[in-house]
Amino acid sequence: MVLADLGRRINAAVHDLTHSNLVDEKAFDSMIKEIGNALVEADVNVKLVASLRKSIRQTVNFKELGPGVNKKRIIQKAVFDELCRLVDSHSEPYKPKKGKANVIMFVGLQGSGKTTTCTKLARWYNARGFKACLVCADTFRAGAFDQLKQNATKAKVPYYGSYTETDPVKVAKAGVDKFKKERFEIIIVDTSGRHRQEAELFAEMVQIQEAVQPDQTIMVLDASIGQQAEAQSKAFKESADFGAIVITKTDGNAAGGGAISAVAATKTPIVFIGTGEHILDMEKFEPQRYISKLLGMGDMQGLVEH
Amino acid sequence: AMGYFRNFVGGKTLTKEDTEKAIAGIMTHLLEKNVAREAAVQICESVQTSLTGQKTGSFQSTESLVRIAMEDALRKILTPTTSLDLLREIGQVGESESRPYVISIVGVNGVGKSTNLSKICFFLLQNKLKVLIAACDTFRSGAVEQLRVHARNLKELSEREGGVVELYEKGYGKDAANIAKDAVAYAAGQQFDVVLIDTAGRRHNDQRLMSSLEKFAKFANPDKILMVGEALVGSDSVQQARNFNAAFGRDRKLDGFIISKCDTVGDMVGTLISMVFATGIPVVFLGVGQNYTDLRTLNVKWAVGLLMS
Ligand SMILES: Nc1nc2c(ncn2[C@@H]2O[C@H](COP(=O)(O)OP(=O)(O)OP(=O)(O)O)[C@@H](O)[C@H]2O)c(=O)[nH]1
Ligand SMILES: Nc1nc2c(ncn2[C@@H]2O[C@H](COP(=O)(O)OP(=O)(O)OP(=O)(O)O)[C@@H](O)[C@H]2O)c(=O)[nH]1
Ligand SMILES: [Mg+2]
Ligand SMILES: [Mg+2]
Repeated sequence: MVLADLGRRINAAVHDLTHSNLVDEKAFDSMIKEIGNALVEADVNVKLVASLRKSIRQTVNFKELGPGVNKKRIIQKAVFDELCRLVDSHSEPYKPKKGKANVIMFVGLQGSGKTTTCTKLARWYNARGFKACLVCADTFRAGAFDQLKQNATKAKVPYYGSYTETDPVKVAKAGVDKFKKERFEIIIVDTSGRHRQEAELFAEMVQIQEAVQPDQTIMVLDASIGQQAEAQSKAFKESADFGAIVITKTDGNAAGGGAISAVAATKTPIVFIGTGEHILDMEKFEPQRYISKLLGMGDMQGLVEH
Repeated sequence: AMGYFRNFVGGKTLTKEDTEKAIAGIMTHLLEKNVAREAAVQICESVQTSLTGQKTGSFQSTESLVRIAMEDALRKILTPTTSLDLLREIGQVGESESRPYVISIVGVNGVGKSTNLSKICFFLLQNKLKVLIAACDTFRSGAVEQLRVHARNLKELSEREGGVVELYEKGYGKDAANIAKDAVAYAAGQQFDVVLIDTAGRRHNDQRLMSSLEKFAKFANPDKILMVGEALVGSDSVQQARNFNAAFGRDRKLDGFIISKCDTVGDMVGTLISMVFATGIPVVFLGVGQNYTDLRTLNVKWAVGLLMS
């Protein structure tokens, strides 16, 4: 599971330090180093890790710690706060309202899991009393419309798309207009995969966005993404100003630190995580609960502020 | 000026301590290039060991010594021991055994298996070969239609040049190994030169799906099993490569990697190193875009250049 190993290692590092008899500066330094290594191994951005290490060091300020203070507690708290800052963007995601059309557009890199997640989300809202539907604005990828169509059919969600129209802007607009007229409440627009190195693809994304005026744009990130996560997500943020992140494929082996670096780089909250290939394999994500679960396994429990 | 000269270690025998700082620097550099930490640590250790005890020339800085040794190490990792000449092998198999040459493509979800299979198909068609694409992803929605579109496009593109392409499909829900076997038999009967088998994406930590690969390899008996790994992936690349390499039974290994989406990572091409380092299996192709012509063979000098930049 994503971040479980990371949590275990960080816990172990803090535990080792705070349970040894001698909490000296050398032991403190090696704890920080071990935490840094664990984070890099989990694909957290290398520069971000360096600044996190610095930050913990500064907050604790080991040299100035007087003899009377509870060193262990100060160190634990500093680590916990820094990790919270990583995953918690402190911004609220968009909340769809019943009785009106809420347009949600998906963006992301190639193969990250957009089309799969679109259907999962439509079904999720359907199950919660919203009238949800899907629009396929991916006119590029071979078989994209068939994929969405088959998924939508399995999930019993109405869909719109075209085999002949090659302009994704036109298809997106036509689909959203049609479903708005039919008083759908959640209209989810799937788009093709793209990357920051291709300016034309980004321009197309902006055009689709202008045409459908989404209430919420969601970026989908693969849990296994590495050091390129920060640059890509920043570029998507600048062009598409997405307001939420979904991390997919968390059922895999990857620790998910790349995707988490994207949260830190774009100050955008994770709202769902994908946990498998099937329609029901999706969970809501709450950063605070997640971290306390992650780090609460060990000594951190008492530090979670309620 | 003193600081400048201090870094020079001309004419002395290097100790481990001498290179400590430069090694730490180059390690961070590798990590930033998206080399998995596990690989980076071991490569740095071996570079450091190779330098320790070495007599240095005059006016060499430790930084430049470490750099040169690292370049050398990376080049050695990426340089394959044997080179793959696909067209020649296909020709040989066709002539001496009069059967089609079989390539199957495997990998985790969404890395670019079907797309890069189509690119390989395009390359083969340009060389006037008769290719059968076998749609053995019977699970993911749209997987069969995706290949149908590619087969149609490729047919149109290659008609003038003389290549022939056909799609072998049996819809969804059926056993992939059986379809693969039937496709190969069909191809043999119809004098196809090559069979390209697409497979469903699978997590390398999914025991059930991974173990079905062994049966698949037995049934399809491919000449080449190529794994697609994407350049975007981070540390997981090491375990992905290892688990797929171990999935085909005791006597069957992967034959090569296709590293896809190289166009999406800039100079962060560390995945190349991670996957080869983890298995010793060579990179045979790079995917550098979403079109049929976006397939390259690995230029080691280019890759090392990016990694060291
Ligand atoms: N194991 C697992 N696989 C997933 C998950 N989400 C998506 N996938 C798989 O990942 C692959 C790619 O998913 P898609 O939904 O096609 O990705 P996409 O972003 O729409 O791809 P493009 O449109 O080509 O950019 C498919 O094989 C999906 O089944 C997940 O949470 N877990
Ligand atoms: N930029 C770029 N995109 C690529 C490359 N190779 C594949 N893609 C894109 O990645 C996405 C997924 O490709 P697929 O070929 O469907 O991947 P797959 O591994 O077959 O996916 P599943 O069958 O769902 O596991 C598509 O949008 C492709 O266009 C590449 O080299 N560069
Ligand atoms: Mg898609
Ligand atoms: Mg595929």
